[in-house]
Amino acid sequence: MFRSQQLALRYFAAAMTLFGIMIVAGLLASTHYVQDGFMLNKLDFSITKTLHIDTMIIWLLMGFIGAVYWFLPIELEREVEGIKLAEIMFWIFCAAVAVVAAVFIFVQYGPATEMSLWFINQGRKYVEAPRWAAIGITLVVLVFVYNVVATALKAKKITGIVGVLMVDLIPLFGLYLIAFPSITNMSEDQYWWWWLVHLWVEATWEILIGCIMALALMQLLGTNRRIVETWLYIEVALVLGTGILGLGHHYFWIGTPSYWLGIGGFFSALEPLPLLGMVVHAVYDAGTHRMKTTNKPAFFWVMAEAFGNFIGGGVFGFMMTLPQINLFTHGTQWTVSHGHFAFWGAYGCGIIAVIYLALQKARDAQQLDSTAWKWSFALLNLGMVGMVGALLVSGIAQAFYERAMGGSTLQAFMEAQTNVWFVQGIVMRLVFGLVFAVGYVILIVDLLAIGRKRVATENFKARAAGGPA
Amino acid sequence: MSAAQMICTALLLGLFVLLAGCFGVLYCLGRLHADDKLGRAAAFAYLLQGITTVLLAMTALDFWWKALLLASFVAYLPIPPLTWRLLENLYKPGEQHS
Repeated sequence: MFRSQQLALRYFAAAMTLFGIMIVAGLLASTHYVQDGFMLNKLDFSITKTLHIDTMIIWLLMGFIGAVYWFLPIELEREVEGIKLAEIMFWIFCAAVAVVAAVFIFVQYGPATEMSLWFINQGRKYVEAPRWAAIGITLVVLVFVYNVVATALKAKKITGIVGVLMVDLIPLFGLYLIAFPSITNMSEDQYWWWWLVHLWVEATWEILIGCIMALALMQLLGTNRRIVETWLYIEVALVLGTGILGLGHHYFWIGTPSYWLGIGGFFSALEPLPLLGMVVHAVYDAGTHRMKTTNKPAFFWVMAEAFGNFIGGGVFGFMMTLPQINLFTHGTQWTVSHGHFAFWGAYGCGIIAVIYLALQKARDAQQLDSTAWKWSFALLNLGMVGMVGALLVSGIAQAFYERAMGGSTLQAFMEAQTNVWFVQGIVMRLVFGLVFAVGYVILIVDLLAIGRKRVATENFKARAAGGPA
Repeated sequence: MSAAQMICTALLLGLFVLLAGCFGVLYCLGRLHADDKLGRAAAFAYLLQGITTVLLAMTALDFWWKALLLASFVAYLPIPPLTWRLLENLYKPGEQHS
């Protein structure tokens, strides 16, 4: 195994740890909705929500980075250039995340000064990490970009996938720089902030996971390079064609010119079209391989990714993307429902699939299968579908009673919070959140154990025969 | 747009895309298994999407959104067969490692 693949395994371990912290923070945040005064002045909703969202971003980012470090030496047939630096950066990344989490939990907030921006919280949703940590993350991403580009140049081999990846890393790095400015004009700040959030999530991350899935499919199903690369180019064209100006659906109500209503609505309406193509491809692949593979968990998680992306991003997104509907739904639990499903479908499932693939190789298992992965697959997806369904009910109640009927007044907001549909949805979200958490525990148990048994048995046989273990 | 109209329209929009997905999946399964019943089910899903488009045309959405939905409805029709054809061309015998 290459050193970068060992580093990838460490990234996966860190990602799964943060995935767990994200779930705990999510459960605490959802308990805040159910029980008034829960951990009041100790760990308020604002903190648990920040932890939940930020760990989600970081575990996915670590998963992506890990996946690239795993596949890159296979793709370019050499060790990653600057691997020592990458290893150092991993520990810096982990230390920064731990310190930031500790500051969020124990310090929580500070005075409205530059010091707070630098050492406590930048105050911008999704990228709350204080400035010193944001600089650290920038350095990690910069080293990551260097690793990929330098390895390709040293190998004198730029495959189609690596070429797309290299180009994609430029905006991945560049857009993160938007995390830094502290613009005092709210509209202007939101305008640029959405570049970071939307163009990461609905453009650069989509391309990144597309590259990762292309590499994964070659390993998982032995798919021909020409097929995955052709498909990747088509996906890149369609996703960027619809996704970049789909950014406009975030500009409806933040004080930007009204032409964004038309631009945002139009391109957002086109966004489900490429997702349908991906679903067709997934069904085709599953059918032509007759669901036969040496790595069932990875295969099923890849399928879940295609369908989850379509339903979470496409169906749930399209419900509320046209301006006339979005006027009532934005910022309600309806949006939260879409966000949960889309992130899970588009990225979470894909990362888990790659981890199973990596474990199969790392543990030298011919076949990777178990009972536990089926339980975790079922419970995680059931938990997610239950959560987004419950949040949808709450969101519909909010949009109906608070926005459309109540006219978005403070009184209407408070009344909607006690509406029976809203409350029941919020309670059910917590219940299904617990189901999701159980699925996570089983997933971790399975990841620790799967594929080891065969290796252990062979080691025992080798020792019994007097050979090397 | 009234509160009830807003909810109905939003749910119809979700149904619109969901039915497109059903059409795509059933079309694929029909071709994979060479099963006419699945092919007819795909056509039925597309028909239901058409009915959803008609219902959306009766909502309080602005004219241009309705026109866009109609254009989308038409655009969804060739996606599964075109994707299928592209995949078949890409996966011609001898192109697979496994």
